[in-house]
Amino acid sequence: MNPSDSDASRFKSASTDRRGERDLDDLLVHVARGDTEAFEALYDRLVGPVYGVTRRVLRDPSQSEEVTQEVLLEVWRTAARFDPAMGGAATWVMTIAHRRAIDRVRSAMAAADREYKTAEIHTPHDEVAEAVEASLDRERVRRCLEGLTEVQRESITLAYYGGYSYRQVSELLKVTLGAIKTRIRDGLIRMRDCLGVS
Amino acid sequence: MRFLRHDMHSLSGVYALDALEGEAERNRFTHHMSRCQTCASEVRGFREVATAMAFAAAAEPPPELRARVLAAAARTRQLPPEVRTHARPRRTRSWVPWVPWLSGVVATASIVVAVLFGFAQSHTQQELNQIQAENKAISLLLSSPQVTLLSHSTTQGGVATVVLAAARHQLVVVTNGLPALPAGKVYQLWLIGKTRTVSAGLLPPATSGRTPAVLASGVVKGDTLGLTVEPAPGSTQPTTTPILALPLPV
Repeated sequence: MNPSDSDASRFKSASTDRRGERDLDDLLVHVARGDTEAFEALYDRLVGPVYGVTRRVLRDPSQSEEVTQEVLLEVWRTAARFDPAMGGAATWVMTIAHRRAIDRVRSAMAAADREYKTAEIHTPHDEVAEAVEASLDRERVRRCLEGLTEVQRESITLAYYGGYSYRQVSELLKVTLGAIKTRIRDGLIRMRDCLGVS
Repeated sequence: MRFLRHDMHSLSGVYALDALEGEAERNRFTHHMSRCQTCASEVRGFREVATAMAFAAAAEPPPELRARVLAAAARTRQLPPEVRTHARPRRTRSWVPWVPWLSGVVATASIVVAVLFGFAQSHTQQELNQIQAENKAISLLLSSPQVTLLSHSTTQGGVATVVLAAARHQLVVVTNGLPALPAGKVYQLWLIGKTRTVSAGLLPPATSGRTPAVLASGVVKGDTLGLTVEPAPGSTQPTTTPILALPLPV
């Protein structure tokens, strides 16, 4: 269960120093100074996960493309406000991306829910399973997700990939709100340890 | 506070996955986090887990997106770094009364300025991330092509100004000169629809009579924006007569 050292460094190399290129934090510092080459490099490194996570949450390819563009422009525009003390560049960008996708879902969902009253929810299990393959990142995340209890795993994937609020997750899984809060937190603690995140 | 500290703390995972519902809940947690170092570092760690999950979901975007993003960046001015000084003169003091006479563009620009100044003055370092995310959402709304400006006084005095982006189903509310509330009471916004009423969040505490901008989502046709006084930390349905009921032209 415990992550080995090589696991920890692999995660680091996968998310912050891929292929030994310039460190992402360093790239972002240059982006803040208007360095377009640094921005291109940053785009190439981060567009995959940004598009992937928005696509997972939003499903619709053209909306996901739109949000991806918004996110990367936001990164360009606000790079000077990036504070490395609050976490790495990849985490900063992914937080923006996920938040943006969720905002899009929530406002669309609130409108649709209230217009049609019955909001049909279907679980994205297949898509989650489908995409969790191949690459190192995928393999590691998959393995760590497998180490969770079923409720922990489902709550985390429904919330993060499915874009559901914890109330909706509690509805879907027929588990009390209090239990969902704890399962998500406990699950993330296990994931954190399994991935070797500091 | 209705939530015990322990309950609040257990929301760290939900917060890190952006799975809280609505601004009111998010604000309550960020407020808690500003006084809880353990929570803040826990959220940081959880966000790294989320980052690994994002990388695990990586997908190839359409290749033409690259040129589009780079071209858009070339046309977009970057924000300067934040310089921590309070010596700047406040120039936004009386902008609200002008709003109805200003063109949309100028008015929204001054709201952005007011928002940024308000935030710069009244928030701690720990809250900046949250504020930045809100600012982004708000500036995105303000930059959308079609916004409607509405301004109305409340029955208790003071003015609420609303920037409505009907196409995005969103609005931003700022107020000026609302009466100060006794401890344990809050101002709460509502979207009052034909069949149901939903909370649109709490008004943050006022600075010099003004409340910072609040973003509300999920606005639909036929909604009226309501404002009531509620017991802290807010209610699930309004419990008092609205002091403002502004029909929204969606």
